[in-house]
Amino acid sequence: MAPPAQSQRSQSPSQPSGKSEVSDLKLQLRQLAGSRAPGVDDSKRELFKKVISYMTIGIDVSSLFGEMVMCSATSDIVLKKMCYLYVGNYAKVNPDLALLTINFLQRDCHDQDPMIRGLALRSLCSLRVANLVEYLVGPLGSGLKDSNSYVRMVAVIGVLKLYHISASTCVDADFPSTLKHLMLNDSDTQVVANCLSALQEIWSAEASTSEEASREREALISKLVIYYLLNRIKEFSEWAQCLVLELVTKYVPSESSEIFDIMNLLEDRLQHANGAVVLATVKVFLQLTLSMTDVHQQVYERIKAPLLTLVSSGSPEQSYAVLSHLHLLVMRAPYVFSSDYKHFYCQYNEPSYVKRLKLEMLTAVANESNTYEIVTELCEYAANVDIPIARESIRAVGKIALQQYDVNAIVDRLLQFLEMEKDYVTAEALVLVKDLLRKYPQWSHDCIAVVGNISSKNVQEPKAKAALIWMLGEYSQDMQDAPYILESLVENWDEEHSAEVRLHLLTAVMKCFFKRPPETQSALGAALAAGVADFHQDVHDRALFYYRILRYNVSVAERVVNPPKQAVSVFADTQSSEIKDRIFDEFNSLSVLYQKPSYMFTDKEHRGPLEFADEIGNLSIGEATDNVVSSQRVEENDKDLLLTTAEKEETRAGHSQQASFGIDDLLGLGMPAVPNVPSPPQLKLNTKAALDPSTFQQKWRQLPIALSQELLLSPQAVAALTAPQALLRHMQSHSIHCIASGGQSPNFKFFFFAQKYEESSNYLVECIINTSSGKAQVKIKAEDQSTSQAFSTLFESALSKFGTP
Amino acid sequence: MLQCIFLLSDSGEVMLEKQLTGHRVDRSICDWFWDHVISQGDSLKSQPVIASPTHYLFQVVREGITFLACTQVEMPPLMGIEFLCRVSDVLSDYLGGLNEDVIKDNFVIVYELLDEMIDNGFPLTTEPNILREMIAPPNIVSKVLSVVTGNSSNVSDTLPGATGSCIPWRAADPKYANNEVYVDLVEEMDAVINRDGVLVKCEVYGEVRVNSHLSGLPDLTLSFANPSILDDVRFHPCVRFRPWESHQILSFVPPDGEFKLMSYRVKKLKSTPIYVKPQLSSDAGKCRVNVLVGIRNDHGKTIDSITLQFQLPPCILSADLTSNTGTVNILGNKTCSWSIGRIPKDKTPSLSGTLVLESELERLHVFPTFRVGFKIMGVALSGLQIDKLDLKTAPSRLYKGFRALTRAGEFEVRS
Repeated sequence: MAPPAQSQRSQSPSQPSGKSEVSDLKLQLRQLAGSRAPGVDDSKRELFKKVISYMTIGIDVSSLFGEMVMCSATSDIVLKKMCYLYVGNYAKVNPDLALLTINFLQRDCHDQDPMIRGLALRSLCSLRVANLVEYLVGPLGSGLKDSNSYVRMVAVIGVLKLYHISASTCVDADFPSTLKHLMLNDSDTQVVANCLSALQEIWSAEASTSEEASREREALISKLVIYYLLNRIKEFSEWAQCLVLELVTKYVPSESSEIFDIMNLLEDRLQHANGAVVLATVKVFLQLTLSMTDVHQQVYERIKAPLLTLVSSGSPEQSYAVLSHLHLLVMRAPYVFSSDYKHFYCQYNEPSYVKRLKLEMLTAVANESNTYEIVTELCEYAANVDIPIARESIRAVGKIALQQYDVNAIVDRLLQFLEMEKDYVTAEALVLVKDLLRKYPQWSHDCIAVVGNISSKNVQEPKAKAALIWMLGEYSQDMQDAPYILESLVENWDEEHSAEVRLHLLTAVMKCFFKRPPETQSALGAALAAGVADFHQDVHDRALFYYRILRYNVSVAERVVNPPKQAVSVFADTQSSEIKDRIFDEFNSLSVLYQKPSYMFTDKEHRGPLEFADEIGNLSIGEATDNVVSSQRVEENDKDLLLTTAEKEETRAGHSQQASFGIDDLLGLGMPAVPNVPSPPQLKLNTKAALDPSTFQQKWRQLPIALSQELLLSPQAVAALTAPQALLRHMQSHSIHCIASGGQSPNFKFFFFAQKYEESSNYLVECIINTSSGKAQVKIKAEDQSTSQAFSTLFESALSKFGTP
Repeated sequence: MLQCIFLLSDSGEVMLEKQLTGHRVDRSICDWFWDHVISQGDSLKSQPVIASPTHYLFQVVREGITFLACTQVEMPPLMGIEFLCRVSDVLSDYLGGLNEDVIKDNFVIVYELLDEMIDNGFPLTTEPNILREMIAPPNIVSKVLSVVTGNSSNVSDTLPGATGSCIPWRAADPKYANNEVYVDLVEEMDAVINRDGVLVKCEVYGEVRVNSHLSGLPDLTLSFANPSILDDVRFHPCVRFRPWESHQILSFVPPDGEFKLMSYRVKKLKSTPIYVKPQLSSDAGKCRVNVLVGIRNDHGKTIDSITLQFQLPPCILSADLTSNTGTVNILGNKTCSWSIGRIPKDKTPSLSGTLVLESELERLHVFPTFRVGFKIMGVALSGLQIDKLDLKTAPSRLYKGFRALTRAGEFEVRS
């Protein structure tokens, strides 16, 4: 229950202070306990209600435990429910007293009324007291066989609760296999769904220690089970449908006809009233067609309308969640949505987090045909009451300008902003005009004319001021009074608080000096003097540097400070494409809402069901080596993109209980449960080998190279190697595991390891593949040198099979 | 999966706590949450999904009650949000509205409902029909019944029959003396009219609501005269997909009582039923406002409850606004609302007056957006028309009723 500190908070004068009321209740309950007078149930009910309400507002009523249990011998179901609620809340802190309740709960498990049987069983399993698990097994066993589906449904979840209290008791009683049987045979779909959710959780947790469990977990995503569930999908409740659909996303169909069958079967789910079902379906469609570019495009077209409707139909909360997903899709494929730009127009009433998403989408979908309308719309937001949104809108106009070829109309709009005489509008517009000029220097003439009219006194924001100063310096030959404006700025040096502005001022004065020396000379002297005396280190250093280089040689100084510039073609993107891809893989999860992959915000121990081993393959070649060498650092730095295998191992071993129903199998994603290892008889590899990166790195350094060779890849293998992931999966099925990989076509680099069967002897491999030449450079290190040749043969044969169907 | 659900009052007090899994969530999370909400200024302004230092929180606010759910694992966000929305729908349905008192008075029922709706953090059933059979609502009828029969339990003795049937939304075998079914088209028009008076966006979001009181297992078909105008549709689970796919016919076995059969969207409409023409001109620290409202297209139906609302920009010191029709109110938060009602035959409603700007301002730079409200009975502005409603094996007496209604959704006119 709530800690005492909380209970004090909720004590208003009118509410009971606790102690005396509780002892009062105790007395009354005791009087009623043995009574069989008529109407006693009603008075009990009143008392129970009071107890529960105290409990709810945070008063500790655990001292009433004994009395509550005594009073619970009743046939009144509401009394029973209240009692179950109470017991469930306090049993964990009072394990000794909880024993008292076992008796009556067990009796209720045999009640005639299925509702009572179910409720009693649910409460029994919710006690969560470790030393009482022995009493759970019997009722659960009979609950699973109960003739009423309600009781079976409760019992299935009960098994999962038991598993979390005591995994061994649950496994020893053979409950998982009973659940499996129920899942495949029960007539009630809610029972089936509960079995699925329980089994996913249990087997994921067990998989780290038991090979059988991980096989069973694999079997959940086998064709048999998936088809069985899909064929009944319409019978499931909407929530259970979400569960099934989530499972289907992990299924890897063996041929494309299967993909179409599944999509045909699920198409009407896109029209479901429940947004969660629609989104889960969308995820299935997107995942299934990832490798089929054409169909993937069609899927975007197909899912567009349902998603847009979801946005406009639900409550604001639902709209936001859908919109975040839509945002992700728009960012991936803006052209698909370019004709739907009006859906991203902001409404006055929308909260600003929604507007912000919409502005980003409007920026993304802008193309030749709709730019005019989008920019017109965005310009209206510039006069918005919500100032942050007004600023964002101006920035959006600027971004559109930067990504378009025909910026004619947009430049006019931006210049209009400058004339709006609204300080934040002017500030934002100045920054944009600066960026625009860096990309399109040809516009300088029009822009400079307008910028020249802006009084520097009206510009206060550092970023805007810096932009203005940059333009003054860069275009000083075109602006009549540039030297004098700069001079007046230099005069107010001490009042300028931003170091960034002072730095820009120094550079601008220098540039101006090269172009118009006589007019600027005095300003330059003043600026350098002020700069050298500046307390800010960077300003001081830059001033000193300019001073010295000017003394050395003025023409050299000009070459350094004001070299001819190339127009910027593309401005750097803030979020890397790898991160975006990763968020896409985690579609329909919180990651999308936070716009970060889950490893960036979820604790390791709570990482959800959406981890894929092949995602480590997102680093570039150069980093691959670096990664192995410094994996220690990487592990500490969770912000890094790279998720090392070790972290995942930890996740599974240590905290898989919480990791819900993750089928995050590292070792055989979508692979047959028992890989047929085509190894020569003399060397067998451990299919479930594990090695953490730091050990790998240590061993790699210690061991000498046993073998180094160059292998030729078959044309099929080259064709199949479009991404590192493909090879990873293939090698995994041959019990050779990847610890790090990276690169882009045509160069890939992999680090593999393998373990000898029933021995902890490791083989480490570095493999560099160039797909254009079709060659693979392989370096093998082995702890057991005598078998390195055998391993090499095995590796070679595994590699040669890659790409062959 | 969800680990805990809290219900908070509008002052942030925990009214109810339902732990769902073995990982007990401490109540202190609510304090963190409430501080966060206060720092955002308003619970409606803070995002529905928030990351706290220890948990991820889903929040849905309805009638001042915050439904808060906590989780520590990745999960589909819509599942959390949708579920909370359903919880609030079911509760408000059961308790006849939502407010602090009604929840405190009926917290036992709320606990009972949550118990059946979610187990171990995974949603089970949120179908009101099924829940109603398991837990009787605390209405007057059941109170009277309990007094008369002496059976004070508000739980039915039998388990719902529908849990086992393949029509989970329908209660087993209801019987009515009068068989009635009503179909309502309810549409909302969203429109944006920009500064130049151009209609930039106009679409209708509509719902087909059915209220059915039919005995036995009725099989209904509903068809439209012009289904091709629909841009996207979503269905209640009872609708069969194939007949729609092939012939655009809605074929379904309805739940008992009122439900939303279908929702749809019609894009790219060309006109709005009324026009609003705002004119603002500022000069020497004052701004003249003049707004005209009138009927654009005559649908032959009267337009009711016309309202106009706008937020005065913060830089305005005082406002003096009058109208020739209806009443004008300026609320404390500088919201100006003009309720017109029906448009009179003899004159065009107009609102005019002056706004006084802050002393150093010459002209107005921030322009208000006018939000328009209206209601039209008897017409669906999208143009959607119901063709016919048939019942397989019609009972002897069957009453069918159809209605239509359009109101303004997000209808904005910028100035």
